[in-house]
Amino acid sequence: MNCPRLKSWFSDRYDFEEIKGFAKQKLVPTHKYEIWYYTGGITLFLFIIQFITGMVLSFYYIPYFEQAHKSIIEIVTKLNMGWFFRSLHHWGAQIAIVVLFIHVWSALLLKAYRKPREFLWLSGFILLGISIFFGLSGYLLLWDERAFAAVRVATGGAGNLPVVGEFIKSFLRGGIDVTGDTLTRFYAFHVSVLPLVTFFLIGLHILLVQYHGMSVPLSVQKNERKEIPFFPNLFYKDLVIWLVVLGIVVTLATLAPPEIGKKADPLAPAPENIKPEWYFLFLFQTLKLFPGEIFGLNGETIAILLISAGIFFFFLIPFFDRKSQRGEKSTLFTWIGIIYFLYFLIMTAIGFIS
Amino acid sequence: MKINFSLVTRRTFLNTLFGGWIVAFAGGSLYSLLKFAFPTLGKEPDFVILKPEDFINIPANSIKPFAWGGKLGLFFKHSNGTTVALKGVCTHMECNITYIPQDKKFYCACHKGWFDENGKNIEGPPPKPLEFFDVTVEDDKLIVARKGIKVELPKA
Amino acid sequence: MAIVGILFSGVNLFAQQEKIDVFPTVPYERFIVYQNLIIFWIGIIGLIVIIKMKLREVERTQKMGIDKEEKDIPLLD
Repeated sequence: MNCPRLKSWFSDRYDFEEIKGFAKQKLVPTHKYEIWYYTGGITLFLFIIQFITGMVLSFYYIPYFEQAHKSIIEIVTKLNMGWFFRSLHHWGAQIAIVVLFIHVWSALLLKAYRKPREFLWLSGFILLGISIFFGLSGYLLLWDERAFAAVRVATGGAGNLPVVGEFIKSFLRGGIDVTGDTLTRFYAFHVSVLPLVTFFLIGLHILLVQYHGMSVPLSVQKNERKEIPFFPNLFYKDLVIWLVVLGIVVTLATLAPPEIGKKADPLAPAPENIKPEWYFLFLFQTLKLFPGEIFGLNGETIAILLISAGIFFFFLIPFFDRKSQRGEKSTLFTWIGIIYFLYFLIMTAIGFIS
Repeated sequence: MKINFSLVTRRTFLNTLFGGWIVAFAGGSLYSLLKFAFPTLGKEPDFVILKPEDFINIPANSIKPFAWGGKLGLFFKHSNGTTVALKGVCTHMECNITYIPQDKKFYCACHKGWFDENGKNIEGPPPKPLEFFDVTVEDDKLIVARKGIKVELPKA
Repeated sequence: MAIVGILFSGVNLFAQQEKIDVFPTVPYERFIVYQNLIIFWIGIIGLIVIIKMKLREVERTQKMGIDKEEKDIPLLD
């Protein structure tokens, strides 16, 4: 669509030449690992879907514990296409976390965290934590038996951290136990605090990508650098992949809408076979591995300490991996990455089966 | 008859096809999103069912409020004993009205509008008379219905 | 792509273990939902086909090399 008058109205006031020049010149390397480049964009697209569906759902959801459960049932049964948008929000979240994990692991194994991209890894890691918290806070908003018990376990687990544990637990819960105050707090996190922080962090993350360009894996770096322009080639390829992802999420949302259980009763015993959401399973399986007491110390605390150490190491991997900082092949850290990945997969699978 | 040149360039053809399809796709998706975002609940009911014993025996020249969906309904007994029901909402800016028994008029405090006991707007800004309902008593139910609505109760 | 509003008689929440319907149960409405899913996929695949056509065209012109700016092009003074 050519609108010369509209274009000249804008160009009389704003100088777009620099931005247009940058956009035209933006080149993306092409090589045998280029498929992993798309994972970041897909994650972003899914988050956008979550924002939009979340916003419309928040028109109808009531974040007061007496009415939360009922408001969801009203959305699902009484409103035009309510069931669909709630289902879309649910499946969008699940797929977003899956793709996010793929994105993180591809960055880990392809060593995209090495110099000069350390801040990308750090900001990305914080975004990973935020996304998981998005999942946890959103899940409690159901206020059904499963969600209630799951959040009790998750916040209780946080309480086992030494020194800061109790503080974090009461901060998350808004008190000693999971109550209506927890719901209010998690709702504030889910619709206000986390979206704002995410917005800024994603902005920073993407800006850094524009600044540094795409990282090329060490093994193909020595080959002649072939590049293709982002506009329009990669933009169209991105668009095709995003459309396929949209189709998959919509199909899942239509054919497999999520259930909702009975309303939560704080005084009722925990239901049978309570399990947290799948992306927490590996943590809980790990906790189950540890006996109650080791050498007189609380087994759970030791477990949490070890897990925290593992996560902390993961967080600071760019600084531990000296070899890739220098641009050398670092097989040890490739193996560390594979071990992390396999551990996650195996523990999640065991958590599922048991 | 074959023409030797193409009427549109490849570029124009592709761009139009692309643009048109995107508009249709995005339009359809947006339509379903908007259908969800814009509520259709909260319409006024066609009729409400009340308990007769609560309303039949109110004193003459007085009103008793009832719920008409989310709005105010007034059950009104004239001084001669006849009973009617009306929507207690001013026709000007939808404030709730009240009944002044001494003047035998309905009064809206928002902009000082007055209606007589038959609902006709007699003073102030209200442009239209008040809306009245049909009242019927069936078995043990007091049915207040919008004028012209045929009420079919499900057989309990 | 309109989807008919879903009508429901009230769910009696006081019943034990009442299964709450999260998907339209009336067969008529279910078919409409499935039909709309098919239409949606036709829309997506159509878009993907068109984008692939555009991509092919872009790559064709890029291979010809006509999109790069010529150096030493004389300026109109």
